Amino acid sequence: MKRVDWRWVLTGGALVLALSAPLLLSGYPYWLHVAIVAYFYAILASSWSLLAGYAGQFSFAHMAFMAIGAYGSGLMGKYWGTTPLTGIVLSTLLAGLVGLVIGVLCLRLKGAYLALFTIAFSEVLRLTLNAELDITGGPNGLDLAPLLNTTSRVPYYYLMLALLLASLGFMYWLAGSRFGLFFRSIREDEEAAAAMGVHIVRYKVAAFVITAMIAGLAGGVEAHYIGLITPNILILGQMSIVIAMAVIGGIESLIGAAIGAILIQFSLELLRELGNWRLVAFGLLLMLTLRFARNGLIYPLIERLVLYQARRAVIEGREQKAKQVGEGA
Amino acid sequence: MELEVRDVHLHFGGIRALNGVSFSVRGPELIGLIGPNGAGKTTLTNVISGVYKPSQGAVYLNGERISGLPPYQIARRGVGRTFQVTRAFRRMTVLENMLVPAMALHPAGRRQEFVDRAHEILRFLTMDHLALEYARSLSGGQQKLLELGRLLMLDPDLIILDEPFAGVHPKLRETIWEFITTVHQQGKAFIIISHDMETIFTLSQRLLVLNFGQLIADGPPEQVKDDPAVIEAYLGKEE
Repeated sequence: MKRVDWRWVLTGGALVLALSAPLLLSGYPYWLHVAIVAYFYAILASSWSLLAGYAGQFSFAHMAFMAIGAYGSGLMGKYWGTTPLTGIVLSTLLAGLVGLVIGVLCLRLKGAYLALFTIAFSEVLRLTLNAELDITGGPNGLDLAPLLNTTSRVPYYYLMLALLLASLGFMYWLAGSRFGLFFRSIREDEEAAAAMGVHIVRYKVAAFVITAMIAGLAGGVEAHYIGLITPNILILGQMSIVIAMAVIGGIESLIGAAIGAILIQFSLELLRELGNWRLVAFGLLLMLTLRFARNGLIYPLIERLVLYQARRAVIEGREQKAKQVGEGA
Repeated sequence: MELEVRDVHLHFGGIRALNGVSFSVRGPELIGLIGPNGAGKTTLTNVISGVYKPSQGAVYLNGERISGLPPYQIARRGVGRTFQVTRAFRRMTVLENMLVPAMALHPAGRRQEFVDRAHEILRFLTMDHLALEYARSLSGGQQKLLELGRLLMLDPDLIILDEPFAGVHPKLRETIWEFITTVHQQGKAFIIISHDMETIFTLSQRLLVLNFGQLIADGPPEQVKDDPAVIEAYLGKEE
Protein backbone atom coordinates (compact mmCIF):
# COMPACT_ATOMS: atom_id res chain seq x y z
CA MET A 1 0.00 0.00 0.00
CA LYS A 2 1.24 3.43 -0.89
CA ARG A 3 2.32 5.46 2.12
CA VAL A 4 0.51 8.74 2.87
CA ASP A 5 2.67 11.79 2.24
CA TRP A 6 1.72 14.07 5.12
CA ARG A 7 3.37 17.05 3.50
CA TRP A 8 0.74 17.08 0.76
CA VAL A 9 -2.11 16.30 3.16
CA LEU A 10 -1.22 19.30 5.36
CA THR A 11 -0.59 21.58 2.37
CA GLY A 12 -3.92 20.59 0.83
CA GLY A 13 -5.75 21.14 4.13
CA ALA A 14 -4.21 24.59 4.58
CA LEU A 15 -5.07 25.50 1.00
CA VAL A 16 -8.72 24.46 1.38
CA LEU A 17 -8.93 26.48 4.62
CA ALA A 18 -7.37 29.55 2.98
CA LEU A 19 -9.62 29.34 -0.08
CA SER A 20 -12.78 28.96 1.99
CA ALA A 21 -11.85 31.69 4.50
CA PRO A 22 -14.02 34.40 2.85
CA LEU A 23 -17.02 32.09 3.29
CA LEU A 24 -16.13 31.25 6.88
CA LEU A 25 -15.50 34.93 7.67
CA SER A 26 -18.42 36.31 5.63
CA GLY A 27 -19.93 38.00 8.67
CA TYR A 28 -16.60 39.33 9.90
CA PRO A 29 -15.08 41.72 7.30
CA TYR A 30 -12.56 42.96 9.87
CA TRP A 31 -11.04 39.49 10.21
CA LEU A 32 -10.88 39.21 6.45
CA HIS A 33 -8.87 42.44 6.52
CA VAL A 34 -6.60 40.92 9.20
CA ALA A 35 -6.08 37.90 6.94
CA ILE A 36 -5.10 40.15 4.01
CA VAL A 37 -2.58 41.99 6.20
CA ALA A 38 -1.35 38.64 7.56
CA TYR A 39 -0.69 37.40 4.03
CA PHE A 40 1.13 40.65 3.27
CA TYR A 41 3.39 40.08 6.27
CA ALA A 42 3.77 36.42 5.29
CA ILE A 43 5.19 37.52 1.93
CA LEU A 44 7.60 39.89 3.67
CA ALA A 45 8.67 37.40 6.34
CA SER A 46 9.19 34.54 3.87
CA SER A 47 11.13 36.69 1.40
CA TRP A 48 13.25 38.03 4.25
CA SER A 49 13.80 34.41 5.28
CA LEU A 50 15.11 33.72 1.77
CA LEU A 51 17.54 36.62 2.09
CA ALA A 52 18.66 36.10 5.69
CA GLY A 53 17.91 32.45 6.40
CA TYR A 54 19.00 31.01 3.07
CA ALA A 55 21.56 33.49 1.76
CA GLY A 56 22.79 34.65 5.18
CA GLN A 57 22.38 38.36 4.39
CA PHE A 58 21.00 39.77 7.64
CA SER A 59 19.46 42.92 6.14
CA PHE A 60 17.23 45.46 7.89
CA ALA A 61 16.30 47.11 4.60
CA HIS A 62 13.43 44.79 3.70
CA MET A 63 10.71 47.24 4.75
CA ALA A 64 12.57 49.92 2.81
CA PHE A 65 12.24 47.84 -0.38
CA MET A 66 8.58 47.31 0.48
CA ALA A 67 8.18 51.09 0.89
CA ILE A 68 9.92 51.70 -2.46
CA GLY A 69 7.27 49.48 -4.06
CA ALA A 70 4.47 51.31 -2.25
CA TYR A 71 5.69 54.90 -2.60
CA GLY A 72 7.04 54.25 -6.10
CA SER A 73 3.64 53.16 -7.36
CA GLY A 74 1.83 55.95 -5.48
CA LEU A 75 4.14 58.67 -6.76
CA MET A 76 4.04 57.37 -10.34
CA GLY A 77 0.25 57.50 -10.16
CA LYS A 78 0.30 60.99 -8.66
CA TYR A 79 2.81 62.57 -11.04
CA TRP A 80 2.72 60.46 -14.20
CA GLY A 81 -0.88 59.31 -14.03
CA THR A 82 0.01 55.64 -14.29
CA THR A 83 -2.61 53.04 -13.41
CA PRO A 84 -2.08 51.16 -10.14
CA LEU A 85 -1.14 48.01 -12.05
CA THR A 86 1.48 49.78 -14.16
CA GLY A 87 2.72 51.56 -11.03
CA ILE A 88 3.08 48.28 -9.15
CA VAL A 89 4.99 46.65 -12.01
CA LEU A 90 7.35 49.62 -12.44
CA SER A 91 7.91 50.12 -8.71
CA THR A 92 8.66 46.39 -8.34
CA LEU A 93 11.37 46.82 -10.94
CA LEU A 94 12.55 49.97 -9.14
CA ALA A 95 12.79 48.03 -5.85
CA GLY A 96 14.87 45.42 -7.69
CA LEU A 97 17.16 48.11 -9.06
CA VAL A 98 17.70 49.63 -5.60
CA GLY A 99 18.23 46.07 -4.30
CA LEU A 100 20.95 45.67 -6.92
CA VAL A 101 22.72 48.83 -5.75
CA ILE A 102 22.42 47.90 -2.06
CA GLY A 103 23.53 44.34 -2.84
CA VAL A 104 26.66 45.59 -4.62
CA LEU A 105 27.44 48.10 -1.86
CA CYS A 106 27.03 45.40 0.80
CA LEU A 107 29.16 42.77 -0.93
CA ARG A 108 31.97 42.94 1.58
CA LEU A 109 29.79 43.59 4.62
CA LYS A 110 28.78 40.87 7.02
CA GLY A 111 26.92 40.47 10.30
CA ALA A 112 26.66 43.65 12.36
CA TYR A 113 28.16 45.83 9.61
CA LEU A 114 25.57 44.70 7.08
CA ALA A 115 22.79 45.19 9.64
CA LEU A 116 23.98 48.72 10.48
CA PHE A 117 24.39 49.65 6.82
CA THR A 118 20.86 48.54 5.96
CA ILE A 119 19.39 50.22 9.05
CA ALA A 120 21.09 53.45 7.96
CA PHE A 121 19.71 53.08 4.41
CA SER A 122 16.23 52.45 5.78
CA GLU A 123 16.42 55.47 8.08
CA VAL A 124 17.70 57.73 5.28
CA LEU A 125 14.71 56.69 3.18
CA ARG A 126 12.23 57.20 6.05
CA LEU A 127 13.60 60.65 6.90
CA THR A 128 13.56 61.66 3.23
CA LEU A 129 9.95 60.55 2.84
CA ASN A 130 9.09 62.43 6.04
CA ALA A 131 10.89 65.59 4.99
CA GLU A 132 9.60 65.87 1.42
CA LEU A 133 6.13 67.11 2.39
CA ASP A 134 5.26 68.49 -1.04
CA ILE A 135 6.13 65.33 -2.91
CA THR A 136 5.37 62.45 -0.55
CA GLY A 137 2.92 64.07 1.83
CA GLY A 138 5.45 63.68 4.64
CA PRO A 139 4.07 62.24 7.89
CA ASN A 140 0.50 62.70 6.60
CA GLY A 141 1.19 60.02 4.05
CA LEU A 142 0.48 59.52 0.38
CA ASP A 143 -2.98 58.61 -0.95
CA LEU A 144 -3.13 55.82 -3.50
CA ALA A 145 -5.87 54.88 -5.93
CA PRO A 146 -7.53 51.49 -5.33
CA LEU A 147 -6.15 48.64 -7.38
CA LEU A 148 -9.56 47.00 -7.85
CA ASN A 149 -12.90 48.65 -8.56
CA THR A 150 -14.71 47.18 -5.61
CA THR A 151 -15.63 47.98 -2.02
CA SER A 152 -15.55 44.30 -1.09
CA ARG A 153 -12.49 42.88 0.62
CA VAL A 154 -12.94 39.44 -0.89
CA PRO A 155 -11.18 40.16 -4.24
CA TYR A 156 -8.27 41.72 -2.33
CA TYR A 157 -8.18 38.68 -0.09
CA TYR A 158 -7.81 36.33 -3.04
CA LEU A 159 -5.36 38.67 -4.73
CA MET A 160 -3.09 38.75 -1.66
CA LEU A 161 -3.46 35.00 -1.16
CA ALA A 162 -2.54 34.43 -4.82
CA LEU A 163 0.44 36.73 -4.41
CA LEU A 164 1.55 34.83 -1.30
CA LEU A 165 1.16 31.44 -2.99
CA ALA A 166 2.88 32.63 -6.17
CA SER A 167 5.79 34.18 -4.27
CA LEU A 168 6.14 31.08 -2.06
CA GLY A 169 5.97 28.87 -5.14
CA PHE A 170 8.62 30.94 -6.89
CA MET A 171 10.86 31.06 -3.81
CA TYR A 172 10.54 27.31 -3.27
CA TRP A 173 11.45 26.70 -6.88
CA LEU A 174 14.41 29.02 -6.41
CA ALA A 175 15.42 27.39 -3.12
CA GLY A 176 15.27 23.96 -4.72
CA SER A 177 17.35 25.07 -7.70
CA ARG A 178 21.07 25.80 -7.89
CA PHE A 179 20.24 29.30 -6.56
CA GLY A 180 19.03 27.89 -3.25
CA LEU A 181 21.96 25.52 -3.00
CA PHE A 182 24.46 28.32 -3.65
CA PHE A 183 22.64 30.78 -1.35
CA ARG A 184 22.99 28.30 1.50
CA SER A 185 26.60 27.47 0.72
CA ILE A 186 27.38 31.22 0.81
CA ARG A 187 25.56 31.53 4.13
CA GLU A 188 27.60 28.66 5.53
CA ASP A 189 31.04 29.70 4.33
CA GLU A 190 31.70 32.18 1.54
CA GLU A 191 35.36 31.23 1.11
CA ALA A 192 34.64 27.51 0.96
CA ALA A 193 31.77 28.11 -1.48
CA ALA A 194 34.07 30.14 -3.76
CA ALA A 195 36.66 27.34 -3.56
CA MET A 196 33.93 25.02 -4.84
CA GLY A 197 33.36 27.24 -7.88
CA VAL A 198 30.39 29.31 -6.65
CA HIS A 199 30.24 32.85 -8.07
CA ILE A 200 29.73 34.57 -4.70
CA VAL A 201 29.13 38.10 -6.04
CA ARG A 202 26.47 37.03 -8.51
CA TYR A 203 24.44 35.04 -6.00
CA LYS A 204 24.70 37.52 -3.13
CA VAL A 205 23.49 40.35 -5.35
CA ALA A 206 20.80 38.09 -6.85
CA ALA A 207 19.49 37.39 -3.34
CA PHE A 208 19.11 41.13 -2.70
CA VAL A 209 17.48 41.85 -6.08
CA ILE A 210 14.98 38.99 -5.94
CA THR A 211 13.87 39.58 -2.35
CA ALA A 212 13.73 43.36 -2.88
CA MET A 213 11.41 42.82 -5.85
CA ILE A 214 9.14 40.50 -3.89
CA ALA A 215 8.97 43.01 -1.00
CA GLY A 216 8.38 45.86 -3.46
CA LEU A 217 5.57 43.96 -5.17
CA ALA A 218 3.89 43.15 -1.85
CA GLY A 219 4.30 46.78 -0.75
CA GLY A 220 2.71 48.10 -3.95
CA VAL A 221 -0.33 45.81 -3.71
CA GLU A 222 -0.80 46.40 0.03
CA ALA A 223 -0.54 50.21 -0.36
CA HIS A 224 -3.17 50.25 -3.12
CA TYR A 225 -5.40 48.05 -0.96
CA ILE A 226 -5.11 50.28 2.12
CA GLY A 227 -5.14 53.47 0.01
CA LEU A 228 -2.57 55.25 2.12
CA ILE A 229 1.12 54.85 2.88
CA THR A 230 3.07 56.74 5.56
CA PRO A 231 6.79 56.78 6.43
CA ASN A 232 5.90 55.12 9.74
CA ILE A 233 5.94 51.77 7.94
CA LEU A 234 9.73 52.21 7.86
CA ILE A 235 10.32 52.57 11.58
CA LEU A 236 12.69 49.99 13.01
CA GLY A 237 9.85 48.47 15.03
CA GLN A 238 8.05 47.44 11.84
CA MET A 239 11.16 45.76 10.45
CA SER A 240 11.65 44.06 13.81
CA ILE A 241 8.14 42.61 13.58
CA VAL A 242 8.92 41.07 10.19
CA ILE A 243 12.19 39.66 11.51
CA ALA A 244 10.48 38.32 14.63
CA MET A 245 7.79 36.64 12.50
CA ALA A 246 10.48 34.93 10.43
CA VAL A 247 12.55 33.96 13.47
CA ILE A 248 9.60 32.54 15.42
CA GLY A 249 8.35 30.69 12.34
CA GLY A 250 11.81 29.52 11.38
CA ILE A 251 14.36 31.70 9.72
CA GLU A 252 15.59 28.90 7.46
CA SER A 253 12.17 27.94 6.23
CA LEU A 254 10.07 29.91 3.76
CA ILE A 255 6.83 28.24 4.75
CA GLY A 256 7.79 28.36 8.45
CA ALA A 257 8.31 32.13 8.22
CA ALA A 258 5.03 32.57 6.32
CA ILE A 259 3.05 30.50 8.85
CA GLY A 260 4.81 32.34 11.69
CA ALA A 261 3.76 35.68 10.18
CA ILE A 262 0.13 34.62 9.76
CA LEU A 263 -0.14 33.19 13.29
CA ILE A 264 1.52 36.20 14.86
CA GLN A 265 -0.57 38.72 12.92
CA PHE A 266 -3.76 36.98 14.05
CA SER A 267 -2.45 36.66 17.63
CA LEU A 268 -1.61 40.35 17.75
CA GLU A 269 -5.16 41.18 16.68
CA LEU A 270 -6.72 38.70 19.11
CA LEU A 271 -4.71 40.22 21.96
CA ARG A 272 -5.42 43.83 20.95
CA GLU A 273 -7.22 44.45 24.26
CA LEU A 274 -3.91 44.01 26.04
CA GLY A 275 -2.58 47.13 24.34
CA ASN A 276 1.20 47.36 24.37
CA TRP A 277 1.44 44.33 26.64
CA ARG A 278 0.78 42.10 23.65
CA LEU A 279 3.98 43.45 22.10
CA VAL A 280 5.79 42.72 25.37
CA ALA A 281 4.49 39.14 25.27
CA PHE A 282 5.49 38.93 21.63
CA GLY A 283 9.00 40.21 22.48
CA LEU A 284 9.32 37.62 25.25
CA LEU A 285 8.26 34.88 22.83
CA LEU A 286 10.95 36.06 20.45
CA MET A 287 13.59 36.00 23.20
CA LEU A 288 12.55 32.51 24.29
CA THR A 289 12.62 31.29 20.69
CA LEU A 290 16.11 32.66 20.14
CA ARG A 291 17.31 31.13 23.40
CA PHE A 292 15.67 27.71 23.24
CA ALA A 293 14.56 27.10 19.64
CA ARG A 294 16.99 28.76 17.27
CA ASN A 295 15.32 27.13 14.28
CA GLY A 296 11.99 28.66 15.26
CA LEU A 297 8.83 26.97 16.44
CA ILE A 298 7.32 25.92 13.10
CA TYR A 299 10.41 24.92 11.10
CA PRO A 300 11.51 22.00 13.30
CA LEU A 301 8.12 20.37 12.78
CA ILE A 302 8.36 20.80 9.01
CA GLU A 303 11.98 19.61 9.00
CA ARG A 304 11.05 16.42 10.84
CA LEU A 305 8.25 15.76 8.42
CA VAL A 306 10.40 16.37 5.32
CA LEU A 307 13.35 14.31 6.57
CA TYR A 308 11.02 11.54 7.68
CA GLN A 309 9.44 11.37 4.23
CA ALA A 310 12.85 11.54 2.51
CA ARG A 311 14.22 8.73 4.67
CA ARG A 312 11.08 6.65 4.05
CA ALA A 313 11.54 7.16 0.29
CA VAL A 314 15.17 5.97 0.49
CA ILE A 315 14.26 2.92 2.61
CA GLU A 316 11.33 2.02 0.35
CA GLY A 317 13.59 2.41 -2.71
CA ARG A 318 16.13 0.02 -1.19
CA GLU A 319 13.41 -2.46 -0.21
CA GLN A 320 12.00 -2.38 -3.73
CA LYS A 321 15.45 -2.87 -5.25
CA ALA A 322 16.17 -5.80 -2.91
CA LYS A 323 12.81 -7.33 -3.85
CA GLN A 324 13.57 -6.99 -7.56
CA VAL A 325 17.00 -8.57 -7.07
CA GLY A 326 15.38 -11.41 -5.11
CA GLU A 327 12.79 -12.00 -7.81
CA GLY A 328 15.52 -11.93 -10.49
CA ALA A 329 17.48 -14.59 -8.63
CA MET B 1 48.08 19.94 -16.11
CA GLU B 2 50.89 22.40 -15.55
CA LEU B 3 51.08 24.85 -12.69
CA GLU B 4 53.79 27.42 -12.49
CA VAL B 5 54.37 29.62 -9.46
CA ARG B 6 56.74 32.33 -10.65
CA ASP B 7 58.64 34.58 -8.20
CA VAL B 8 55.63 35.07 -5.90
CA HIS B 9 55.93 37.70 -3.15
CA LEU B 10 53.19 38.54 -0.69
CA HIS B 11 53.43 41.30 1.89
CA PHE B 12 50.98 42.06 4.69
CA GLY B 13 52.10 45.56 5.66
CA GLY B 14 55.67 45.07 6.83
CA ILE B 15 55.38 41.28 7.09
CA ARG B 16 56.80 39.32 4.18
CA ALA B 17 54.64 36.19 4.12
CA LEU B 18 56.06 34.92 0.82
CA ASN B 19 59.37 36.00 -0.58
CA GLY B 20 60.13 35.06 -4.17
CA VAL B 21 58.62 31.56 -4.25
CA SER B 22 58.99 29.75 -7.57
CA PHE B 23 58.22 26.16 -8.49
CA SER B 24 56.17 24.24 -11.00
CA VAL B 25 53.98 21.16 -11.02
CA ARG B 26 54.00 19.19 -14.25
CA GLY B 27 51.50 16.39 -14.65
CA PRO B 28 50.11 14.19 -11.88
CA GLU B 29 52.81 14.73 -9.28
CA LEU B 30 52.23 14.01 -5.60
CA ILE B 31 53.91 16.86 -3.78
CA GLY B 32 54.31 17.42 -0.07
CA LEU B 33 54.57 21.00 1.16
CA ILE B 34 56.24 21.25 4.55
CA GLY B 35 57.84 23.84 6.75
CA PRO B 36 57.82 25.06 10.34
CA ASN B 37 54.80 26.96 11.73
CA GLY B 38 54.42 30.35 10.08
CA ALA B 39 56.61 29.38 7.12
CA GLY B 40 53.90 30.48 4.63
CA LYS B 41 52.49 27.11 3.52
CA THR B 42 48.82 28.01 3.87
CA THR B 43 49.50 31.49 2.50
CA LEU B 44 51.01 29.92 -0.61
CA THR B 45 47.95 27.73 -1.13
CA ASN B 46 45.79 30.82 -0.66
CA VAL B 47 47.74 32.56 -3.41
CA ILE B 48 47.41 29.59 -5.76
CA SER B 49 43.67 29.28 -5.10
CA GLY B 50 43.05 33.01 -5.53
CA VAL B 51 42.22 34.04 -1.94
CA TYR B 52 45.24 36.37 -1.98
CA LYS B 53 46.62 38.25 -4.93
CA PRO B 54 50.44 38.22 -4.91
CA SER B 55 52.16 41.57 -4.31
CA GLN B 56 54.64 40.55 -6.99
CA GLY B 57 55.04 37.57 -9.31
CA ALA B 58 52.32 35.40 -10.77
CA VAL B 59 50.75 31.95 -10.90
CA TYR B 60 50.06 30.24 -14.23
CA LEU B 61 47.84 27.26 -14.89
CA ASN B 62 48.37 25.54 -18.23
CA GLY B 63 50.13 28.68 -19.47
CA GLU B 64 47.28 31.01 -18.45
CA ARG B 65 47.84 33.56 -15.69
CA ILE B 66 45.40 32.78 -12.86
CA SER B 67 46.72 35.06 -10.11
CA GLY B 68 44.28 37.95 -9.78
CA LEU B 69 41.31 35.81 -10.81
CA PRO B 70 38.61 35.31 -8.15
CA PRO B 71 38.74 31.94 -6.33
CA TYR B 72 35.61 30.58 -8.02
CA GLN B 73 37.18 31.01 -11.46
CA ILE B 74 40.39 29.31 -10.38
CA ALA B 75 38.34 26.44 -8.94
CA ARG B 76 36.46 26.12 -12.23
CA ARG B 77 39.76 26.08 -14.13
CA GLY B 78 40.85 23.00 -12.21
CA VAL B 79 42.39 23.88 -8.85
CA GLY B 80 40.56 22.37 -5.88
CA ARG B 81 41.49 22.78 -2.26
CA THR B 82 40.58 21.95 1.31
CA PHE B 83 41.23 24.12 4.35
CA GLN B 84 43.33 23.66 7.47
CA VAL B 85 40.20 23.83 9.61
CA THR B 86 37.43 21.73 8.09
CA ARG B 87 34.89 23.86 6.32
CA ALA B 88 31.97 21.66 5.42
CA PHE B 89 28.66 23.46 4.86
CA ARG B 90 27.43 22.45 8.30
CA ARG B 91 23.74 23.24 7.99
CA MET B 92 23.43 21.42 4.69
CA THR B 93 23.13 17.68 4.22
CA VAL B 94 26.10 15.62 3.07
CA LEU B 95 24.45 15.16 -0.33
CA GLU B 96 23.81 18.90 -0.70
CA ASN B 97 27.45 19.57 0.18
CA MET B 98 28.43 17.26 -2.65
CA LEU B 99 26.09 18.89 -5.15
CA VAL B 100 27.46 22.44 -4.70
CA PRO B 101 30.69 22.05 -6.73
CA ALA B 102 29.11 19.88 -9.40
CA MET B 103 26.29 22.34 -10.03
CA ALA B 104 28.65 25.31 -9.94
CA LEU B 105 30.89 23.67 -12.50
CA HIS B 106 28.15 22.39 -14.84
CA PRO B 107 25.28 24.90 -14.90
CA ALA B 108 23.50 22.97 -17.65
CA GLY B 109 23.99 19.54 -16.06
CA ARG B 110 21.22 17.28 -14.83
CA ARG B 111 20.76 17.15 -11.06
CA GLN B 112 20.02 13.40 -11.05
CA GLU B 113 23.36 12.67 -12.71
CA PHE B 114 25.13 14.67 -9.99
CA VAL B 115 23.16 12.88 -7.28
CA ASP B 116 24.17 9.50 -8.72
CA ARG B 117 27.81 10.59 -8.97
CA ALA B 118 27.68 11.91 -5.39
CA HIS B 119 26.39 8.58 -4.07
CA GLU B 120 29.13 6.78 -5.98
CA ILE B 121 31.81 8.98 -4.39
CA LEU B 122 30.24 8.69 -0.95
CA ARG B 123 30.32 4.92 -1.27
CA PHE B 124 34.04 5.14 -2.12
CA LEU B 125 34.50 7.27 1.01
CA THR B 126 32.45 4.78 3.06
CA MET B 127 29.87 7.39 4.02
CA ASP B 128 26.96 6.85 1.65
CA HIS B 129 24.75 5.95 4.61
CA LEU B 130 25.25 9.52 5.86
CA ALA B 131 24.02 11.20 2.64
CA LEU B 132 20.90 12.67 4.21
CA GLU B 133 22.53 13.70 7.50
CA TYR B 134 23.47 17.29 8.18
CA ALA B 135 27.21 17.89 7.90
CA ARG B 136 27.22 19.35 11.43
CA SER B 137 26.26 15.95 12.81
CA LEU B 138 29.39 14.29 11.35
CA SER B 139 32.60 13.74 13.30
CA GLY B 140 35.66 15.88 12.50
CA GLY B 141 37.20 13.07 10.45
CA GLN B 142 34.00 12.46 8.53
CA GLN B 143 33.81 16.16 7.73
CA LYS B 144 37.32 15.93 6.30
CA LEU B 145 36.18 13.02 4.14
CA LEU B 146 33.22 15.09 3.03
CA GLU B 147 35.59 17.87 1.93
CA LEU B 148 37.50 15.31 -0.13
CA GLY B 149 34.24 14.09 -1.61
CA ARG B 150 33.33 17.64 -2.61
CA LEU B 151 36.70 17.92 -4.34
CA LEU B 152 35.97 14.81 -6.40
CA MET B 153 32.67 16.37 -7.46
CA LEU B 154 34.62 19.47 -8.55
CA ASP B 155 36.95 17.12 -10.45
CA PRO B 156 40.00 19.41 -10.45
CA ASP B 157 43.33 18.58 -12.08
CA LEU B 158 45.27 19.88 -9.08
CA ILE B 159 44.15 19.12 -5.53
CA ILE B 160 45.58 21.07 -2.60
CA LEU B 161 45.03 19.45 0.80
CA ASP B 162 45.84 21.47 3.90
CA GLU B 163 46.58 19.15 6.83
CA PRO B 164 44.37 16.26 5.71
CA PHE B 165 45.60 13.94 8.46
CA ALA B 166 45.45 16.34 11.42
CA GLY B 167 43.24 15.14 14.28
CA VAL B 168 41.86 12.19 12.34
CA HIS B 169 41.05 8.75 13.74
CA PRO B 170 43.52 6.06 12.47
CA LYS B 171 40.75 4.27 10.59
CA LEU B 172 39.75 7.43 8.73
CA ARG B 173 43.40 8.19 8.16
CA GLU B 174 43.64 4.99 6.15
CA THR B 175 40.63 6.03 4.10
CA ILE B 176 42.19 9.44 3.39
CA TRP B 177 45.48 7.78 2.43
CA GLU B 178 43.61 5.46 0.09
CA PHE B 179 41.73 8.42 -1.35
CA ILE B 180 44.94 10.26 -2.15
CA THR B 181 46.71 7.30 -3.73
CA THR B 182 43.67 6.17 -5.75
CA VAL B 183 42.85 9.65 -7.06
CA HIS B 184 46.52 10.26 -7.82
CA GLN B 185 46.60 7.06 -9.87
CA GLN B 186 43.65 8.43 -11.81
CA GLY B 187 45.90 11.25 -13.01
CA LYS B 188 45.36 14.07 -10.50
CA ALA B 189 48.18 16.19 -9.11
CA PHE B 190 48.37 16.82 -5.37
CA ILE B 191 49.97 19.40 -3.14
CA ILE B 192 49.63 18.21 0.45
CA ILE B 193 50.50 20.29 3.47
CA SER B 194 51.21 18.24 6.56
CA HIS B 195 53.06 18.42 9.84
CA ASP B 196 53.07 14.63 10.01
CA MET B 197 56.63 14.04 8.74
CA GLU B 198 56.46 10.25 8.60
CA THR B 199 53.30 10.29 6.51
CA ILE B 200 54.35 13.09 4.18
CA PHE B 201 57.81 11.60 3.53
CA THR B 202 56.25 8.22 2.73
CA LEU B 203 53.42 9.53 0.61
CA SER B 204 55.10 12.25 -1.46
CA GLN B 205 57.10 11.84 -4.64
CA ARG B 206 58.51 15.33 -4.22
CA LEU B 207 58.82 17.71 -1.28
CA LEU B 208 58.75 21.49 -1.19
CA VAL B 209 60.06 23.07 1.99
CA LEU B 210 59.17 26.63 2.97
CA ASN B 211 60.82 28.65 5.71
CA PHE B 212 60.11 32.33 6.47
CA GLY B 213 58.26 32.64 3.15
CA GLN B 214 61.13 31.27 1.08
CA LEU B 215 61.39 27.98 -0.73
CA ILE B 216 64.49 26.40 0.79
CA ALA B 217 64.28 22.94 -0.76
CA ASP B 218 62.58 21.21 -3.66
CA GLY B 219 63.28 17.57 -4.49
CA PRO B 220 62.64 13.90 -3.72
CA PRO B 221 61.99 13.14 0.00
CA GLU B 222 65.24 11.19 0.45
CA GLN B 223 67.22 14.17 -0.84
CA VAL B 224 65.28 16.79 1.13
CA LYS B 225 65.63 14.77 4.34
CA ASP B 226 69.38 15.30 4.39
CA ASP B 227 69.34 18.88 3.14
CA PRO B 228 71.25 21.03 5.69
CA ALA B 229 68.92 24.02 5.12
CA VAL B 230 65.90 21.87 5.95
CA ILE B 231 67.55 20.40 9.04
CA GLU B 232 68.44 23.89 10.18
CA ALA B 233 64.91 25.16 9.58
CA TYR B 234 63.44 22.43 11.75
CA LEU B 235 66.15 21.91 14.37
CA GLY B 236 67.87 25.30 14.41
CA LYS B 237 71.49 26.16 13.74
CA GLU B 238 74.18 24.33 15.69
CA GLU B 239 76.00 26.76 18.00
